Amino acid sequence: MPDLAAKGPELTDRTRLALLLAPALLLLGGLFLAGLGLTLLRSFRYMPALGLTEPDLAAYVAILTTPDFLKSLALSLWIAGASTILAASLAIGAALLLRQTFPGRAVVSFLVQLNLTVPHIVGAIGILYLVSQSGSFARLAHAAGLIATPAEFPVLTHDPYAIGIILLYVWKELPFITLILLANLQTLGEDHEAVARSLGASRWQAFRHVLLPMILPGLAASSALVFAFAFGAYEVPLVLGQHAPKALPVLAWQAWTDTDLATRPEAMAMAIVIAVVGLALLALVARGLIAGDRDAP
Amino acid sequence: MTALVLDQLRKSYAVAGQAALHGLSLAVESGSLTALLGPSGSGKTTTMKLIAGLIAPDSGDIRLGDRSIRDLPPERRGVAMVFQNPLLFPHLTVAGNVGFGLRMRGLASDRIAASVAEMLERVRLTDLAQRKPAQLSGGQAQRAALARALILRPEVLLLDEPLSSLDPGLRDEMRQLIRALQRETGITTIVVTHDQTEAVALADRIALLLDGRLAQYDSPQAFYGRPATMAVARFFGGVNFIPGTARAGIFDGALGTLTLPPGLPEGPGVLTIRPEALRFGEGPNPRAAQIVALSFLGSLTRVDLDLMGVPLQALVTPDTARTLGPGTEVQVSLPPEALWLLPPDA
Repeated sequence: MPDLAAKGPELTDRTRLALLLAPALLLLGGLFLAGLGLTLLRSFRYMPALGLTEPDLAAYVAILTTPDFLKSLALSLWIAGASTILAASLAIGAALLLRQTFPGRAVVSFLVQLNLTVPHIVGAIGILYLVSQSGSFARLAHAAGLIATPAEFPVLTHDPYAIGIILLYVWKELPFITLILLANLQTLGEDHEAVARSLGASRWQAFRHVLLPMILPGLAASSALVFAFAFGAYEVPLVLGQHAPKALPVLAWQAWTDTDLATRPEAMAMAIVIAVVGLALLALVARGLIAGDRDAP
Repeated sequence: MTALVLDQLRKSYAVAGQAALHGLSLAVESGSLTALLGPSGSGKTTTMKLIAGLIAPDSGDIRLGDRSIRDLPPERRGVAMVFQNPLLFPHLTVAGNVGFGLRMRGLASDRIAASVAEMLERVRLTDLAQRKPAQLSGGQAQRAALARALILRPEVLLLDEPLSSLDPGLRDEMRQLIRALQRETGITTIVVTHDQTEAVALADRIALLLDGRLAQYDSPQAFYGRPATMAVARFFGGVNFIPGTARAGIFDGALGTLTLPPGLPEGPGVLTIRPEALRFGEGPNPRAAQIVALSFLGSLTRVDLDLMGVPLQALVTPDTARTLGPGTEVQVSLPPEALWLLPPDA
């Protein structure tokens, strides 16, 4: 076996990079791309085990012509969009607050990070116990005489606006975006804002025209991840969502677990739609980041 | 006319690491270029941040003309600040950076473009207007930062160590640019520096800060010829100090009696003479001296002397140095006009 260490200095930077990246790429390519490839094949109804060897677009035609699918797609876009915008806006505020030094900052910081460790499904059940019409808040409001019966408590779970789901996602993803932004802000320091102020910018202008553009790459990347997750995860809408329309991932999951094997290509087609939306968004952000890099090499 | 007045400014920090001010008073002439000089930790940057409004004083007042700006937010003070690092906004082009302040004021974009073009011309960055800050050299970035502040025509321009992030070769060029732009615009300018040669080369007046207090505010020449205290004299390279008593134009100390120039105070004090003012050969106040050592310093040579048991230093040109040898006896003169009397060290 050739002595790699001795040959080290002769390796070009490009070769070295390729060697270092190989394990991660193999894992990613092997599991993710292969899985996606198989899903794609099945969404084209290529399933030799069932005697289907002629790929076609029937599954896509089937889902695109069902009103259920379009309603589910719209609902999932609403859930992911609203959760992301709310979580990102609140995270900006939280990060700006947490970069200051104040007594108890470590405690607040710890509490913010704590819920990153709570699984989504546990959080969803917690929300159910707290804000459903038979939950603790409804009973407290009833006991306090604010409402006559617990049924008067606003419908926040299994509701058409998916408020319970959005609430859970905001609560779960807020700390994630906050952490990314906080790291970003701490690297940047406050000098650029001080310059902006000394050049006549108000506090708001310094934020809007200097700080926000500077943290935008981190904000866009973390928000895109949150969007893609909220758009594609199925366990939270399964617990907190209404019966119909269902969130898209729930619809896909139910089609896949249906006893009728013929609905599987449709499930795969829906999975592909979910993946394409997520990937397109990430590609868009990545393109923006690369363009930003090229401007400032 | 007085432009900027600092009146008994005090600032202390709870956390260590930032220099405190202990009652700083200073009145800066309108249209002048003042160097705020001092060693690190003397409170220079703290003073700048107080003037710019980035921090608030514990007590004291800051006045521009006849109005107090102490309680105004930074953007309403008429004070612009250029920091030690250029700190250009990375997401904006050079032109975008230079036009930033005007944009914040809500000026029309064609007027901003015209002002930016003119300003870029002045700092010779016209060709780089569309570059991003990361594509600039250190000198170019610092010039863009200067243009970004100057374009606002502030009443007071603050420059915090504007040369320290530059290579030595670029410093001289930048220094001349600052000097030229300041003369052209007549903007009252304060430059922070820890380098006394830079302060002397750049400024009309120097304010020397030592330990959070104003040690002396004077012309550059005065710091060499008429330092206020031994600490000031030492900061400007003073090394020869002879304690004694002055009476009726005569100084009596370890070097015997020396004739003083007229106008110096009477009583106990410390006599000082600049090392470059000591003369070799015949002259007034003559003394015999032993040469202890010669040290080559480049353009000048340092001569360590022993005068009647008192160690003194002289700085001489290479021509003079060639005539001197270690261990030899020479005649030196302490010209009265080069003598200065300091108060006894507290």
